[in-house]
Amino acid sequence: MSAIDLRDLRVVYRRKGEADRVALDGFSLEADNEMLALLGPNGSGKSTLMGVIAQTIRPESGEVIEPKSRCGLCVVFQTPALDALLTVRENLLIAGALHGIDRATTKVRIESISHELGIGDRLHEQVRHLSGGLARRADLARALVPHPSVLLLDEPTTGLDIDARRSFWESMSRVRARLGMTVLLATHLIDEAERAERVLMMREGHRVCLDTPEALRHSLGERVLRISVSDDAELEAVGSWLSGKGLMSHRVDRMLIVPDAGAEYLEGCPAVSAAFTLAPPSLEDVYSIRTHTGGTA
Amino acid sequence: MALCKRELIRQVRQPSRVVASVATPMLIWLFIVGGFSKAVGEVGGGRSNLTAYTIPGMASLTVMFASIFAAISLIQDRHDGVLRAALVSPAPGWSIALSKIGAGSLLALIQALIVLLTLPLLGVELTPVGVLGAIAALACISCALIGLGLAMAWIVDSSQGFHGVMNALLMPMWLLSGAMFPVEEAAGWLRVVALLNPLTWAHTAMRNALGMSDELSPLIAWSVTLGFAVFGVMLGTWAISRSRQTS
Repeated sequence: MSAIDLRDLRVVYRRKGEADRVALDGFSLEADNEMLALLGPNGSGKSTLMGVIAQTIRPESGEVIEPKSRCGLCVVFQTPALDALLTVRENLLIAGALHGIDRATTKVRIESISHELGIGDRLHEQVRHLSGGLARRADLARALVPHPSVLLLDEPTTGLDIDARRSFWESMSRVRARLGMTVLLATHLIDEAERAERVLMMREGHRVCLDTPEALRHSLGERVLRISVSDDAELEAVGSWLSGKGLMSHRVDRMLIVPDAGAEYLEGCPAVSAAFTLAPPSLEDVYSIRTHTGGTA
Repeated sequence: MALCKRELIRQVRQPSRVVASVATPMLIWLFIVGGFSKAVGEVGGGRSNLTAYTIPGMASLTVMFASIFAAISLIQDRHDGVLRAALVSPAPGWSIALSKIGAGSLLALIQALIVLLTLPLLGVELTPVGVLGAIAALACISCALIGLGLAMAWIVDSSQGFHGVMNALLMPMWLLSGAMFPVEEAAGWLRVVALLNPLTWAHTAMRNALGMSDELSPLIAWSVTLGFAVFGVMLGTWAISRSRQTS
């Protein structure tokens, strides 16, 4: 049985005077002992999915099959869920108590986790005195003290600088290697999604693709051609020209992406002010194509 | 218990909350009693004067302010994310609510006791049973008000809005509770309104315990006071338990 097992979920937000908004529709997912990244534009249903797994949002239909109790689930939110007036240690003791872990065990875990996360010497400080990066790591420690089997990370590095982000992920890797757990990461950052074993892309409450980052990149062939143009007229002209040659292209804002392309494709291109790039496909290409132009996994 | 302890630590690290909760009622008491005590004379069936008679009311006002602070911390917890972390934990909703009510009540009682301890200075002899009775009545008031506050804090999303609603609800409730005047001696319509107010009965229970008044039935007073506390606790617990699933 998987740590996360969701079947045919449907979540609808209903507000008086407003049209119903379907946040998840026919959504199924299984994940176990891996890091799974959720990528999708705002409103694609990532946070709703997190809420359903954390049981703070009730689906209208479908099944959330839980092999373990709620003790095995923790969440790192977009902003640290720590009491600023309490010390880091006091916050972590509360996290242990909320998950029914005895005080002695919690203390042992606090020592080991705080050292792994590089906050061992800051346990006595009130959270309000910590920098953003340290507060983030303290918040991660809060979520790890219960030794969860499922960890939900909801854009956990929002607002952090590059060094703090790197430090956060290094800490996360160390702890994951030791504890082993299923991690679900909602993010807008492609490089963070690259760290995951699998990437799930979402659009308008549906999953549009789910695979390893490598497989997703390879789904676009060996190389992709990116044609950036300066105005809509030129975009139309280049798009028509590519269609005339029987080439499939995907329009993303003022750029056309041609999968599995070669330099010879450019012969006779009508673009005047365009910029061309021919490169191995990136996860960002997959994201742009799948979440802008659709396609169902 | 961990969440209770958290509330206590927060209180210790915010001493301004204690000062605000105790100083405001004492200033109100000083100004009103200073202005009216000579004109009013004896009250409470001749068993007290206005100076001492209003002290239980000031203790309940202290509890009211402390309860508002306790309930408002729920809004802050929600904005800080502390509440979200608690709600996704296995801890049941009722335990989260009871920890708020328990810790809030303990803090409110400590502050109210400071006010009550002025009674011997005003010539009222305190007995251990009387003090315990007063503490019980104040505990009921604080449980009821924090419970109500938690339910209100769940509906009102901003601390500014919460203050507005609570002041509009609780201040008239307190003013019409016999805190500043004996209900028995009030005008007809005011007496009716006061008797429908659970705080009136809580004040009666407190004054009965302290031997300061025998105006109304102690049995009814204690029954209503306990019922008010149970209602408040149930309402607050229901609001937080219900909040676990929002869709």
